[in-house]
Amino acid sequence: MSAEETRESHSNGRNPIIRFDHASFGFPGLIALKDISLPIYDGEFVGVIGPNGSGKTTLCRAVLGLLPPVEGHLHIFDCACSELRCHHRAQIGYLPQKGVVDRNFPVTVLETVMMGRYGALGLLKRPGKKDRQIAMEALAQVGMETHKDTALGHLSGGQQQRVFIARALAQQPKVLILDEPTTGLDITMQHNVIELVQHLHDELKLTVLLITHDINMIRSRVDRLVLLKTKLFAAGPPAEVLKPEILHQVYGKELVITENDLVIVEDYHHHH
Amino acid sequence: MLDLLAYDFMQRSLLAAAMVGGLCSVIGVFVVLRGLAFVGAGTSHAAFAGVALGYLMGWPPLFLAILFGLATVWITGWVEERGRMKLDVSIGILYTTTMALGILFIGLMKTYNAEVYGYLFGSVLSVTPEELRIIGAMSVLVLSLLLLFAKELYFIAFDQEMAEASGVPARQMFFLLLTLVALTVVVSLKTVGAILVFAMILIPASTAYQLTHSLTTLTLYSALIGIITSVCGVLISAVWDIPSGPAIVLLATAMFFTAVLFSPKRAKRARLIHAH
Repeated sequence: MSAEETRESHSNGRNPIIRFDHASFGFPGLIALKDISLPIYDGEFVGVIGPNGSGKTTLCRAVLGLLPPVEGHLHIFDCACSELRCHHRAQIGYLPQKGVVDRNFPVTVLETVMMGRYGALGLLKRPGKKDRQIAMEALAQVGMETHKDTALGHLSGGQQQRVFIARALAQQPKVLILDEPTTGLDITMQHNVIELVQHLHDELKLTVLLITHDINMIRSRVDRLVLLKTKLFAAGPPAEVLKPEILHQVYGKELVITENDLVIVEDYHHHH
Repeated sequence: MLDLLAYDFMQRSLLAAAMVGGLCSVIGVFVVLRGLAFVGAGTSHAAFAGVALGYLMGWPPLFLAILFGLATVWITGWVEERGRMKLDVSIGILYTTTMALGILFIGLMKTYNAEVYGYLFGSVLSVTPEELRIIGAMSVLVLSLLLLFAKELYFIAFDQEMAEASGVPARQMFFLLLTLVALTVVVSLKTVGAILVFAMILIPASTAYQLTHSLTTLTLYSALIGIITSVCGVLISAVWDIPSGPAIVLLATAMFFTAVLFSPKRAKRARLIHAH
């Protein structure tokens, strides 16, 4: 499906909050994402999938304004990447991949969440009562308010993920970007985190960009799936993207779709 | 010991030690958390090369020390940002190059100059009133900048990319931190010496790290430990007539190992392991 069709079928008259226009990212000679044209609309829940090294995290860094396109255009809140200022960035909440952040950093849960206020506050301003209140509300939204004085390093992986989501929420963002939020969590925790994200999307009307390997976990929840492998292979409602011929192209022959619509890895030994 | 305190030089050196100890230990919190330990070590050697060049050419040594120190941290920061080279490699090269320059400048001096060695090994007991004023002014400057930008500096120490993504001018803050590290090193050269100044930045913060999980408490503990060890170190050095630099650093090291042994974090971890 082309980008033009995507725009028509999902715009519903809304303006895109983020707009990729033939944008390429990476370095000259080493392009991580090529010729991406993709609008993301206000209030959408978008899942980003693709094999390892397909450019998922690059897409994420691009939307954060950390990586200007080497070719084409990327507009975030109607600003070109180079025009993106700190107060724009503050409107995008970000949960980085696990392992990026030192989780034994000597910091309490509330101190971590308060950091979400720093960008929005601006330089030279001290966080006050109101910021503390916003941080506490963010903690309540993820159900961690009773742990506010606990050391971050003493929490379980799933709880830490909730705290980091609360940190992003404390920015009072319009867009929430989550880079593989379920990696390294056990299966119930994975489910809890995805439930939480869905709840935040419904409740706070957040535009959510969720990067994941777990197609089955999100396929019934997202409005659209974006399938990447260095370029944009497909973007649209899950049923349109998760077609055998498309998946084969991207993942190779190993992926099959079962009768109840689950995407699974085909058992190699079973057939030989 | 009380009659010692009556001397002007003793009062000056205690005041200098307290200021340097406090300054080093507060900036040390950000250095330890941001993982810049080696950068600081390199800076102190670069600053020493500046001092040596100053004495060789008859130029103001502290001014050259600041110049050399700033050049080193800025090159290091620039290299890290570019991602061209691993940080430890670039700083390792700068570290040894500036040390070689320092030794070269000393070798080029026609006569033995005891003052240069004072900057290498530290001689807090010979701090002049003018040096004390410089230390005071620089401490006020560095600490006020740290205080003004504390929230941003904590955030980039935690995670620079996350800070940048959420609207903090992270790159500028990183260079501010590097600049403050260089200034701190230069201010402390005379007191603890180029070789040991880094201990004063590293050890109090690492000791405090053993004792708390909160950023604000960590900074307070670190400052307290830094000031106490510096002042006690100077007193020990005066009473027992031993060099002040090693007295301060060895006292701080003793505190560090005590903190490691009795760390509540350690106890908690041990209980956790036991429970499983």
